[in-house]
Amino acid sequence: MDTSHYKVTVARDLEDLIPVFMSNRRKELDTLRVALASADFDQLRQLGHRMKGVGYSYGFDHVSTLGKHIEEGARSGDRAALEARIGEYADYLAKVEIVFE
Amino acid sequence: MSAADFRVLVVDDDPDMQRLLALMIRTEGMQADTADDGDAALARASAAPPPDLILLDVMLPGIDGFTVCERLKHDPATAMIPIVLITALEDRASRVRGIRAGADDFLSKPVQREELLARVQTLRRLHETRRELEQRRLAAEVSRKEALRKAFARYISPRLVETMMADLEAGGTPFERAPQRMSVVVLFADLRGFTRLTERTQVDGVVSLLNDYFAVMTEVAYRHDGTIFSMAGDNLLVGFNVPFPQPDAAALAWRAAHEMAASARPVLDRWASRGMPTGVGFGLASGDAILGNVGSPHYMNYTIIGDAVNVAARLVELAQPGELLVAGPALEAAGERAAPRGRLPLRGRSEPVDVYSAML
Repeated sequence: MDTSHYKVTVARDLEDLIPVFMSNRRKELDTLRVALASADFDQLRQLGHRMKGVGYSYGFDHVSTLGKHIEEGARSGDRAALEARIGEYADYLAKVEIVFE
Repeated sequence: MSAADFRVLVVDDDPDMQRLLALMIRTEGMQADTADDGDAALARASAAPPPDLILLDVMLPGIDGFTVCERLKHDPATAMIPIVLITALEDRASRVRGIRAGADDFLSKPVQREELLARVQTLRRLHETRRELEQRRLAAEVSRKEALRKAFARYISPRLVETMMADLEAGGTPFERAPQRMSVVVLFADLRGFTRLTERTQVDGVVSLLNDYFAVMTEVAYRHDGTIFSMAGDNLLVGFNVPFPQPDAAALAWRAAHEMAASARPVLDRWASRGMPTGVGFGLASGDAILGNVGSPHYMNYTIIGDAVNVAARLVELAQPGELLVAGPALEAAGERAAPRGRLPLRGRSEPVDVYSAML
């Protein structure tokens, strides 16, 4: 299993923003789970879209990749795929290692 | 403008994106302000001091970014603020819509720091150049108006110059308004025996004498807020309560006549010492007159005509050197006293006029 995306390099001057960023990602994960449980595909699409925009911008490319898949899964109403991606997101947030340079 | 004075408004409902963009701007030494939605963005853009650039996400709760952009570009107060719309990379339709809304540039999400800063710096330079050009244009406009004002002030009364400049600024032709009937106070001043003097004086000498004399007379007229309508030969016509209302017009005219006589005295004394004795007579009357352009399309006079002008003109003909002849209603309006000269018939007028005399 490729785990290279678990290591993220972030510019030193963004360091102060990262704790809040990570906290917001964890809240986002909770919201994704609730939305999936209630089959709220519109909210899942919006959350995926937001992840896509914010992830790359901070240097967390995998957040954007997952966001893209979640947005697509929500569009097609693919619950199984969404569940897998949200699980992957939880695993990523638990294991991600941040390096500041 | 230095980077520290350059203000960027970041509009994004995602707090992480908002913080990131603001930090990138601040890291470059610029100021960053933030807004969470379209309404807040419109309010911030219209507040003082306004932002110098706006980074505007298109997907906002409530009013979306396109609408915010359109509104800002339609408002003359905010139209010049550069707007960078933040859209998704693959979203070409949004870019087309953004161009129609008046956006100056675009930035794709995810945001690349180098790209963001390059666009901001380019727009900052453009904004500074635009602002500098606008300041130069305004300075040139002010100096052109000032030159025009100075040039005309040599030929017509400063108050008429103001009226003319206001007409020009309103996009009209100066003095083109319809003739107006107004209640006016008219003061005539005339040099007694000056015609005889000119027969014995060189041409250059006459002009120099008149310039000395009119310099003091116009200065007094302007000091009393009078408007000079005519300076013909040695004759001066000053209007009060025209073209602007002056509740104390008659009193102003009365005082102007007295001060004109006093101010002209040193000039007249110099002439007398050179063998050219003369004096000034004054005529003062009040009543209705018409203010407007009189003449032909090739030569126009913006002047006053009417009974008050005729009466004052006849009175100045009758006045002795150093004498002010005043029609009864003007004297009463001025609240002054003068010696009665009787009810006099005046040329061109069917009814005689009560005339009073004051020696100045």
